Amino acid sequence: MKKGLAILGMGAFAIVLQGAVAGFLSPPWCPDLGFLIVIALGPRFASSAGGISIAATLGYLSDLLSGSLLGQHLLLRMLAFGAARRAGRQLDLRGLLPQAVFAGSLSGLNALAFAVVTAFFAGSGFGWPAPRAFLTHVAVDAAFAPLVAAAVDRVLAWAGEDDSSRPLMRFEPRGKIA
Amino acid sequence: MGDFGRRLRTAILVAALVAVALVSMVSDRRALLDGGRELPWGVGALVDVARSLQKIITLPMDFLGDRWDHYLALVGVGEENVHLRERISFLAEENLQLREALVASGRLAQIAEMREGFEIPMLPSELVGGDASPWFRSVSFDRGRAHGVRSGMPVISEDGLVGLVTAASRYSARAMLLLDRQSAVDGTVQRSRARGIVRGRGVDDLEFEFVVRGGDARVGDVIITSGLGGVYPKGLRIGRITGVSDPGDRLIQIATIAPAVDFGRLEQVFVMLRRGPTMELLYESEERDELAEAAPSRPTS
Repeated sequence: MKKGLAILGMGAFAIVLQGAVAGFLSPPWCPDLGFLIVIALGPRFASSAGGISIAATLGYLSDLLSGSLLGQHLLLRMLAFGAARRAGRQLDLRGLLPQAVFAGSLSGLNALAFAVVTAFFAGSGFGWPAPRAFLTHVAVDAAFAPLVAAAVDRVLAWAGEDDSSRPLMRFEPRGKIA
Repeated sequence: MGDFGRRLRTAILVAALVAVALVSMVSDRRALLDGGRELPWGVGALVDVARSLQKIITLPMDFLGDRWDHYLALVGVGEENVHLRERISFLAEENLQLREALVASGRLAQIAEMREGFEIPMLPSELVGGDASPWFRSVSFDRGRAHGVRSGMPVISEDGLVGLVTAASRYSARAMLLLDRQSAVDGTVQRSRARGIVRGRGVDDLEFEFVVRGGDARVGDVIITSGLGGVYPKGLRIGRITGVSDPGDRLIQIATIAPAVDFGRLEQVFVMLRRGPTMELLYESEERDELAEAAPSRPTS
């Protein structure tokens, strides 16, 4: 509970900060901090239900502080959390490079998902993100991902049991063990 | 069983949240089509707190920007000043001549009277933040319902059209910029009066779609609002054409527009405290519906 609240507080502050910085920086150059926190949380947070709830809450806050439709970030943050959680089970996401590559890839998919959902629900017609803005933003997200992951580790460690010590790659038996 | 129960609970939670997200998006889309959303009290208070925090965060950056603008970026100001003074004296002279001509024709008093009826009250407002998502283009500012701001009101700056208020809480509001993918404005080429739709592309320029037959748009032409969409008043400057595509055998031609407003340097905006006729109609019908719902139902015989 304490860890959840700590991450929520951190995420909420990050989203507010991102909105403030967006007033000065060109949008592609702003790291999507809310998104990065959610994907850092995926392999680290112990409870799936708790993690999904946090992702949804942070998504809703992003909806309130952005020009998206209410519910758009909520939905896509949950998907991002799910994808990161699943990837954390299959892949070894420790280390700067794997984290950056994974965050960059997911950031690209996230951008495309936003374009699809906006086209479908807002009826504005599908438009690919402008290539330069898209690539810049993916690179910025990739660069910031290890920093955000380290910050999430710190907050989780500070708030309670040290989840960062949990191995990110889990081996689960597929059948019964005799 | 414990594990199954946990998985089931998670699945139910995910399904419920997905349903909430889908319903929210559909209802929010309807609200936007009806001119925007007025945030409920609790949510609005949360947004106001966030905007206050954003304002505090931006204070040091504002301070640095201000120092830069007032002390470090003054190279060439002297030369510009001389040029502007010359321009002012030229315009003052021209203004005087026009006034004289109007007075001579006896129409000045008549025009002044008419202007009072047309003038739209403007509310100056400071920007407090950009969009919390890189895939949308909107800004938030420090005036809200308490100051008379309502969804559907146009937002302008001294350079031209900025966008439209799409959400308002008590002490702050959010405006969708022209650059946003969801933005579409009915525009006119000032020179040829060719009409078309100005659309945002999510990047720093806009596109102007117009019908090839009869449409005449060239590089350098100024695009203004046509006033025909019923949302924005006529004559607000949108931007200047920087490129026109080759239509080939298509009916629709697309021109690229550089916006009149430099959105990267936007600090202060003016909210036009009057909604366009389309918005008023939408709100009137909405208010009528609310009144009808609030009225006690008559027993049917």
